[in-house]
Amino acid sequence: MIDPRSSVVASRLAGIGRIAAFCSAKGGVGKTLCTTLAGLVLAARGKNVGILDLDLQGSTAHLFLGVTPRMPREDKGILPLPVTDLESARGGGLVLMSAGVLAGNRALALRGHEVSDAILELLAVTIWGPLDALLLDLPPGIGEEVMDLARLVPRLEAFVVSTPSAASIPVVERLLGFLAEVHVPVAGVIANMTRGDGSPVRALASRFHARYAGEVAWEPRVEPALGSAARLGQTAAAAAMDAVLKEAGW
Amino acid sequence: MHEWALAESVIEATAAALGSRHPSCLLGVTVLLGELQAIDREIFTFALETLLQERPFRAASYTLQTDPARFRCTNCGREWTLAECTGLEEDAREAIHFLPETAHAFVRCPSCGSPDYRVQAGRGVRIESLTLDGAGSCA
Repeated sequence: MIDPRSSVVASRLAGIGRIAAFCSAKGGVGKTLCTTLAGLVLAARGKNVGILDLDLQGSTAHLFLGVTPRMPREDKGILPLPVTDLESARGGGLVLMSAGVLAGNRALALRGHEVSDAILELLAVTIWGPLDALLLDLPPGIGEEVMDLARLVPRLEAFVVSTPSAASIPVVERLLGFLAEVHVPVAGVIANMTRGDGSPVRALASRFHARYAGEVAWEPRVEPALGSAARLGQTAAAAAMDAVLKEAGW
Repeated sequence: MHEWALAESVIEATAAALGSRHPSCLLGVTVLLGELQAIDREIFTFALETLLQERPFRAASYTLQTDPARFRCTNCGREWTLAECTGLEEDAREAIHFLPETAHAFVRCPSCGSPDYRVQAGRGVRIESLTLDGAGSCA
């Protein structure tokens, strides 16, 4: 018995300039916020960007960007949904694929092999077309999502997200060790939701000889902007993400 | 029409499995279409035939078989079939067609109502077997 899907993943991603996973291992550090901000910032620079939400059981990227769950269109595959509320984009675009737009707000309780199956299916049948960048929003943990992407996705880079909290640093440290073991290059380590001191995250990056890309300070304007790509793209957090991406060479 | 993407995957996987053997070594391919994914057989066949026109192993015979879906509840042990999944709305069927794992958002064990079950068979598209010429340089 042969599972044919992995044989087309590389060709599906061939037209994409750069591919980065936003990951952390620790929950609640703002991976989705960083992913969606990065998508908005790059689109505002005129880039064509895709976001694949692989937090299958807790998908929220569509909620952040104001994309209403609905069935995607088909054209020799499944087409990602456009993020239409992009006031600041200069000729760029942002599209999204997520299990959340298919399942709506229902619980999607999956066991490990089903997570792997779903990831492989999304990678095999989503037709991204030419993109400057594809951003992968990962759930917490060092599970199927990280392992499958490291195995299946060519040219994968990682943005590692952490808060400066002592509850976050040791967990993210394990992920950095794992990424080194599976040879996934770290584009940058991001200190998220900081309140004046990102130095524990900088020190963490330094221990792994990884690039510290900077910080995205906690900002009260983010919460009311969730659900509007245009408003989210105008926050100070988005400006901070712009600087983070530049520091990381993105 | 995302049957095209899956048909393409069958062809690419077949090419990979054939490896360096001569294309004429491939006599047949048996493809299982998981009942749960509800692949449109006519579209899949058309996609397969169209995509094969550019491939050197197009002369092989391609057989499509339906793989019946079977579920088993982890909670109570009940086993059931897709025919017993009554009341699925069109959107649910379409979501499952796109991504079979979304069945867990819509289908429940008919005995205990649990969402914790395994799709034991009939999930999606698989290549069950490749038949290769066992003679000459193909052996």
